[in-house]
Amino acid sequence: MRWNDAVLGAIFVIIALVVALDARGFPDLPGQAYGSGTLPTLVAAVMFCLGAAQIVTGVRSRAPAIRLDAWMRAPGAAWRMAAVPLFVAAFVLLLRPLGFPLVTPPLLFALLLVMTVRPATALVVAVAATAGIWFVFARLLGVPLPLGLLTEIVY
Amino acid sequence: MEALLAAFAAALAPQVLLVVVAASVYGLFIGAVPGLTATMGTALLVPLTFFLEPLAAIGAIVAASTMAIFAGDIPGALLRIPGTPASAAYTDDAYRLTQKGQAGLALGTNLVCSVLGGLIGVAILVLAAPRIARFSLGFSSYEYFWLALLGLSCATAVSRGSAVKGGLSICAGLLISMIGIDIVTGTPRFTFGDTPLIAGVSIIPVLIGMFAITEILRKCATPAPASRPEALRLGALFAGVGGTVWRYKGGVARSSVLGAFIGALPGAGADIAAWISYAVAKRFSREPEKFGTGHAEGIVSASSSNNAALSGAYVPALVFGIPGDTITAILIGVLMMKGVTPGPMVFVMDQGLVGAIFAIFVVANLLLLPLGTVAILLSQRLLAVPANVLFPIILLFCAIGAFATNNAYFDIWIMLAVGLLAFALEENGYPLAPMILALILGPQIEESFMQSIIKADGHLLAFFSRPIAGTLGVLTLAIWLAVALLALRSGRRAAGAARRAG
Repeated sequence: MRWNDAVLGAIFVIIALVVALDARGFPDLPGQAYGSGTLPTLVAAVMFCLGAAQIVTGVRSRAPAIRLDAWMRAPGAAWRMAAVPLFVAAFVLLLRPLGFPLVTPPLLFALLLVMTVRPATALVVAVAATAGIWFVFARLLGVPLPLGLLTEIVY
Repeated sequence: MEALLAAFAAALAPQVLLVVVAASVYGLFIGAVPGLTATMGTALLVPLTFFLEPLAAIGAIVAASTMAIFAGDIPGALLRIPGTPASAAYTDDAYRLTQKGQAGLALGTNLVCSVLGGLIGVAILVLAAPRIARFSLGFSSYEYFWLALLGLSCATAVSRGSAVKGGLSICAGLLISMIGIDIVTGTPRFTFGDTPLIAGVSIIPVLIGMFAITEILRKCATPAPASRPEALRLGALFAGVGGTVWRYKGGVARSSVLGAFIGALPGAGADIAAWISYAVAKRFSREPEKFGTGHAEGIVSASSSNNAALSGAYVPALVFGIPGDTITAILIGVLMMKGVTPGPMVFVMDQGLVGAIFAIFVVANLLLLPLGTVAILLSQRLLAVPANVLFPIILLFCAIGAFATNNAYFDIWIMLAVGLLAFALEENGYPLAPMILALILGPQIEESFMQSIIKADGHLLAFFSRPIAGTLGVLTLAIWLAVALLALRSGRRAAGAARRAG
């Protein structure tokens, strides 16, 4: 997904302005003209100039505001790509209430189906991957992966 | 001699060796599967290395990246798909050799040259790093400020594509590094109130997002079909390799030294080293017309150079804490989390650790020969792993890896947000290497800047008052000027071309 250079340039300019405004409230070192706002302001100033340069380049190029690359227009590509953030978001939101062992297999199964894996293979992979990651992180490395609903059953 | 023995004893301790061998197998897999880059493999290793001793953690990263850079040659030669970007320079030559029925010669040459290049790179690292460290013991905050800034400037100068985009990438990295409590005054900055951002942005989810989520997004959109190249036999593997490497021994030596030097430049890693060495080999060759047609000379030069670059990148990383490439940027992130700050003092205070790190490099490069041979023989199986099964599993691993370091759900959101941001930037031609360098160097730049400004009582000219600091400062400003002039010129030329075309 290629935006016209001016679009991202404008976003950088806006971020630079917000940062510079915010940094004005940071305290200086006692007796100095410098403080925790100095470097953020400097970086914001550079970002503002470079972002402005990008706006000029983008406007001059007369490229369309947004252009999809060929691979993104392939059938199903956009949907499969959207599945990645959806998977992560659903995973984080459900991880604590439901627990790792209950959340992971169905979510991974669904993602594998979106990726056009055959259902039987997807089921086996989803369960095996969940077990493998549980073993490595929870058992070997001692990471407290949440058990969620299973907490009371296990303990 | 005694120090040498102690170094190897530490590197060959059962626990460390086990980690190194396991990481090697992992690295070979990562490199051989197209789409999994050495940097991504290292980023995925980070959540695991977090639980290891510093030496074992470094060993894991060194071994995995060494193996991955070689293994990237395997699908390059067999399928004409480079496994990692560092193999792209000579993929055509290697694939043409395979088409001529000489896949064994291509891969055997790749392997032997990778080992030779790696070892020469290690030799340069061992010779150069302690000397530079001793020289830089007297450096004060002024020198460190300019060094870090020089590193960042180098990263923009060498990154391909627009210098303006490289500069914006640096600014973004610096701003992300400033999120959280400011170390000098204790003020919270850009935390959006009382959020988990007060502790700053944790580096591991950022690394995973930047280098793994971006690739996963791309590969999930268009999963490549698994392929089955022909199986290779051991006998055919090394036939003619010795003669070929000997014929181009000058190329091996030149490219390895060049590779180590390019690797040491901040921001330039194994892929740029391979491209430059390939171009240099072509320029000096007696048969430049044969390059690109299945000629071994380019393969010899570029595949020794990309492995040498890996070791070269550790010179500034270990001596100054300034990463030479994206892999060492990740390594420095890991070390800082473990409370080890790389710098010249490490060479004085902890010579044992430094010696052991050098020994691990030698061990990893020697292990490459047998393990790489096995990987080539198993290549048919390795390349048959279907991408549409592999990438969802890696995604799950990323999410857990981001969670595991701080047991924080917030870190998974950080990983996702940085991943989407980095993907959008990379798709639009913004290089990511300067951004990760800026993120790692940000705190160092700010700390040395504030220290210096306090010492100088606010007088900016003091930054040029010491001879070495002054030289570094002028050099940095000269690079900025050169980059700005070049950008202006190319901008004008592009505008002129657009006007003519319009």
